[in-house]
Amino acid sequence: MDFGLSPEQELFAHSLRGYLSQHFPMQRVRTLMEAEHRADPERIEALSGQGLAGILVPTDCGGSGLALLDAVIAAVELGRAATPVSFHSAFVAAPYLLSQALPEPSMRGWLEAIAAGKSLLSFARLPAKASSGKWNGSASFVADAMVADAFVVASGDDSAPEFYLLPAATPGLSVEPLLNIDATRVLGDVSFEAVALPARSRLPIADPAGALRRVLDAGRIVLAADAFGAAERSLESAVEYSLLREQFGRLIGSFQAVKHMCAESYAELEPLRALLWYAAFAWDEELDDASYAATLLKSHCCEVATEVVANAVQVYGGMGFTYDCDVQIWFKRAGYDRQMWGGPSELRARAVEMARAGV
Amino acid sequence: MDLSYGPGYEQFRNEIRRFLEEHREQAPPPRLGLAENSAAMRRWQGILVDHGYACRTVPKNYGGYGAEEDLLKTIIIGEEFRKASVSAGIASQGISMLVPTLLRYGSEEQKREYIEPTIRGELIWCQGYSEPEAGSDLAGLKTSAVVDGDDFVVNGHKIWTSTAREARMMFALVRTEPEASKHKGISYLLISMDSPGLEIRPLKMMTGHAGFNEVFFNDVRVPKRNIIGRRGQGWEVGKATLVHERNMLGASDHSMTMLQSCMKVLDDCGALDDPLLADQAMKLAARTMAMKYHSLRMLTDKLKGRSPGAAGLITKLNGCQLNHDICKLAIDAMGEGGILREGSRRVRDRGRWQSEYMFQLGLIIGGGTAQIQKNIISEVGLGMPREPKTPQRGTRE
Ligand SMILES: Cc1cc2nc3c(=O)[nH]c(=O)nc-3n(C[C@H](O)[C@H](O)[C@H](O)COP(=O)(O)OP(=O)(O)OC[C@H]3O[C@@H](n4cnc5c(N)ncnc54)[C@H](O)[C@@H]3O)c2cc1C
Repeated sequence: MDFGLSPEQELFAHSLRGYLSQHFPMQRVRTLMEAEHRADPERIEALSGQGLAGILVPTDCGGSGLALLDAVIAAVELGRAATPVSFHSAFVAAPYLLSQALPEPSMRGWLEAIAAGKSLLSFARLPAKASSGKWNGSASFVADAMVADAFVVASGDDSAPEFYLLPAATPGLSVEPLLNIDATRVLGDVSFEAVALPARSRLPIADPAGALRRVLDAGRIVLAADAFGAAERSLESAVEYSLLREQFGRLIGSFQAVKHMCAESYAELEPLRALLWYAAFAWDEELDDASYAATLLKSHCCEVATEVVANAVQVYGGMGFTYDCDVQIWFKRAGYDRQMWGGPSELRARAVEMARAGV
Repeated sequence: MDLSYGPGYEQFRNEIRRFLEEHREQAPPPRLGLAENSAAMRRWQGILVDHGYACRTVPKNYGGYGAEEDLLKTIIIGEEFRKASVSAGIASQGISMLVPTLLRYGSEEQKREYIEPTIRGELIWCQGYSEPEAGSDLAGLKTSAVVDGDDFVVNGHKIWTSTAREARMMFALVRTEPEASKHKGISYLLISMDSPGLEIRPLKMMTGHAGFNEVFFNDVRVPKRNIIGRRGQGWEVGKATLVHERNMLGASDHSMTMLQSCMKVLDDCGALDDPLLADQAMKLAARTMAMKYHSLRMLTDKLKGRSPGAAGLITKLNGCQLNHDICKLAIDAMGEGGILREGSRRVRDRGRWQSEYMFQLGLIIGGGTAQIQKNIISEVGLGMPREPKTPQRGTRE
């Protein structure tokens, strides 16, 4: 039995933390938050450092070819640092699907561009199916819609999806921004108006339903990891503050009310670290309960994260409620993670079906 | 136990309905959260005061309606306005906190000068209690007021002051008796916000709005007659204000209105067909209903001059958490759309749910944090001892 991160993985987390604090200190994060929806090649390039962008890109396409577990380690660090990146979409969902379609030679170029930080891709879901070879309809809440160079689109329902790769400049494709609470990650709607789909834009994926399930599971796992990171960092920050702030002639950290609030946060959050590892491992190994674990993980982890961050705000008192206090950034970050790709109740309803089917 | 209203009250209810039918066009559109003080709102507030539907027990000679305190009538007004989705007027710090304090501790002259414009929303107040070093430990406040001729001269620094920029006046706690013990050295002053030497610096809240401020006092002169109560009595006066604040912040009316809007969101999103969300909604409905009847019980105690004991101390703790949870459910029901904010395409209710969700978290802190409420409930309500004062300033065990 050896359940835990390897020394290399520990090292990866450590060096990534250093890298992010150097390249994306909170001041820079705040500047980028103000610049919502503006294309920023420098940011994307910086993300290719430490192999972040190419983490799931196969090695023969210039990536690191790592496992989802490694992506989870990265996502925790990105959540902690509140790094402005839609990691689940740009660096997990998109490269995963493209690598599933690798027999198709044009995919290689895109994957190389992702890993090198030269192109930003986005994953979009379009409920409609193409009729007579054309698309009409719109994909909602698409990460990086305004700045993506291309979209990997899953169209049609879960049982028989089709996947396409469409450059942002495709005629008939238009994007409109949405404003969300978490300014570290931007969203938009993508509309398709009689978009013609050349055969070469279709991704040749052998098991499309399986691939869709896997990509959604992977996205949910890293969204949960992001929320975990945001929660963990805000708890640490609250504890640090409690050792500086005095009221009634005492450090507020010496009040049992404050200690217990932090201890409860910790006790709720910490088991999810192990569940994160397991869910990622189960995904990597394609275990039977991989989807079940991903679904339960995301629903619960995001719910706990919301509570942990709210507790951290409370430890800070009035200060925690200010825009200047970084906890607000994690609060919104965890809020985004919670709602995207299935909120707690929706996921639990799915989990019930899996439990009933006897996973 | 008698919850029937009786014929006299049913007639009163009909009067309100008639009033609402005739006047509802003039009411500003209802919104979540505390009502804004706009020109339309002030006009509406004036109409409500004149008809006895707002500040109804404020005596006539101070510009109120001068009604006898009547618990059932107050409840019926709340019910009918909520049912009709019409704004019940301004809920400001001036109206909810200062006016009751003035009625109890103010001089005749002060009552005449301040109450009428306040209840009509013409005179906006802010609350200058908290300081950077004195939040939960409010009695540790340091802003000083020293007598010089006919004035107090105020120096110091307040923080988290809501509506300081809109306000014309501040009710503040200041230290006038530096020699006296912590709680005995405080006085309650009314300070004009355009006094020379007073400077306001906005602070941005988590929601992105600059809803509170820092206020700096640099030799600000305040006439001596602007003290409420005696010198050194400020803690007692200020605590009375805080009780009103806590009851306002946790008021079950507010939760009921919010739950009503939340249920509409759930219905529109089809969330009531989802047993998991419906379950949560009904749990919130039960909590809200319990707090509604809890507040009836508290009002009954008050009317009969009975002390509600520990049960009277839970309103703020429960109410603010409940409101926060109601907002959270509305956001969850909206799914991905729940994260949209004000100004976005496709955002529902102008992004109010997210900003209110955050604001309610702020209110769990403001007006005495949840932890302080729990201390009060256990120590004052349940008679449990205070935590021993062991760890000394600045030491870590
Ligand atoms: C939205 C909002 C609006 C506000 N509006 C106003 C206003 O208009 N006017 C005004 O004067 N003030 C206002 N305040 C300030 C508010 O009253 C204070 O923030 C509050 O009293 C807490 O003080 P603090 O921020 O200094 O936190 P602190 O007192 O520093 O508290 C930090 C943490 O320590 C805990 N703590 C402190 N003492 C104890 C103890 N003895 N036992 C257990 N735990 C303890 C607290 O619960 C909290 O978790 C507002 C605050 C907010 C958030």
